[in-house]
Amino acid sequence: MSILTWARTHSPWLIHFNAGACNACDIEVVAILTPRFDVERFGALLKGSPRHADVMVVSGSVSRKIRDRLKRIYEQMPDPKFVVAVGSCAISGGVFQDCYNVMEGVDKIIPVDAYIPGCPPKPEAILDGVVKLLMSAGY
Amino acid sequence: MSNLLTTLVAVLFFPGLSFILTYALWCQWVSRKAAARLQNRQGPLHTGWQGILQPLADFVKLLVNEDITPAAADKPVFNYSPIAVFAIPLAATFLIPIQSLTNLRGWEPIASFEGDLIIVLFLMSVVILAVFLGGWSSGNVFGAVGATRAALMMLAYEIPLSLVVVGPAILAGSLQISEIVDWQVASVNAFLRAPDIQGLAVAAVLFIGVVIYLICLLAELELRPFDISEAETEIVHGWQVEYSGKKLALLNAGHDVKMVLAAALMTSLFLGGPAGPILPPFAWFILKTTFCVLVLTNLSVLFARFRIDQMVAGAWKYLVPLAVLQVMAVVALSGVI
Repeated sequence: MSILTWARTHSPWLIHFNAGACNACDIEVVAILTPRFDVERFGALLKGSPRHADVMVVSGSVSRKIRDRLKRIYEQMPDPKFVVAVGSCAISGGVFQDCYNVMEGVDKIIPVDAYIPGCPPKPEAILDGVVKLLMSAGY
Repeated sequence: MSNLLTTLVAVLFFPGLSFILTYALWCQWVSRKAAARLQNRQGPLHTGWQGILQPLADFVKLLVNEDITPAAADKPVFNYSPIAVFAIPLAATFLIPIQSLTNLRGWEPIASFEGDLIIVLFLMSVVILAVFLGGWSSGNVFGAVGATRAALMMLAYEIPLSLVVVGPAILAGSLQISEIVDWQVASVNAFLRAPDIQGLAVAAVLFIGVVIYLICLLAELELRPFDISEAETEIVHGWQVEYSGKKLALLNAGHDVKMVLAAALMTSLFLGGPAGPILPPFAWFILKTTFCVLVLTNLSVLFARFRIDQMVAGAWKYLVPLAVLQVMAVVALSGVI
């Protein structure tokens, strides 16, 4: 394992993007920072600015209104970057699937590296998804 | 020749560049781990033993990440200010006594002259200028707001900080950091031989100085109660908002070096510098500065963020008068007048 892969997989800084979620997934995403789950064990920190982040955690069925913003924030992140879709809405649109204003999934707009199902997914599931993504990147 | 060689080793390896950079990474780990344990978390755990390599992993990752310069940024200023933020505190650490290479019990700094305390204070304030330019030139509204807040905070904490530092200098009768350390060692030894009320009074007055100095350091290092200029939740990292890749790596490393400098200055002025029984000076330096970092971390975990007006008003209403009183008490005790 090269030192670059080691450094990248051991320091995934997250940015959380709400693309029209009902707040349930967002609360579960924030829960992985709490003492019980503590994602900082794997070197992950929640960052405010997309310029500082490596992994974008997206929740919510992407509405047409937020589509361009999602793409723009994604393009503001420095390479190499990863996207994790959290919750049924972010994967496929969930219960809003056939709505006129919904894009039916994050992967219609930007490439997604990990899907975490659930409505909302448990914090354990989100943590498991993040660790599996790091494993596939060569952790 | 051997003199030149010693100087080169001192500047490049120990106690110069390499030592300070490694020590800065250590301080970041201590700070993060202590903050995590105080919040009942584990902190970095899987990167090396107990996550001790976490700051190194962050640094290497940021160095090799894509380096974005926004189209709206003022490019030369935006690109060079991270170098200044990193290099200026690093240069100031060369004036702090850590360890002599020729004498195991000695601690003369790499560069030392009458008035180097003023130079260190000057360099600590110049960093804020680089911060201001970096945030202002980024072409981002959050960056500009963070930059003006950083400059405004400096107006509040810089004066009590400088006043308080004058206290030990008056007592030692010198503006040279190594002479202030020598004065502390001499007066502590004298006090241990023959305890008197004068010594206790000096210690009590200097303790007020330490408290003011710590509060100012929290603002200087943009730690929790005074992280107004980066305020993640309201202005998304303030002046650093547009920085990525190796510029952000330099900014983070610069913050850690500034933390080392602040802890080292506190050690040199108030805690007896690198002097101590049995162990060599650099070991005492590491022990004392790590203690200072732990105190700063504990304070920053304890408090919630103040507003900028509360911070500036509080500094001018309470810290400045207290610092002036402390200087007056020091002058009265030292018998200069």
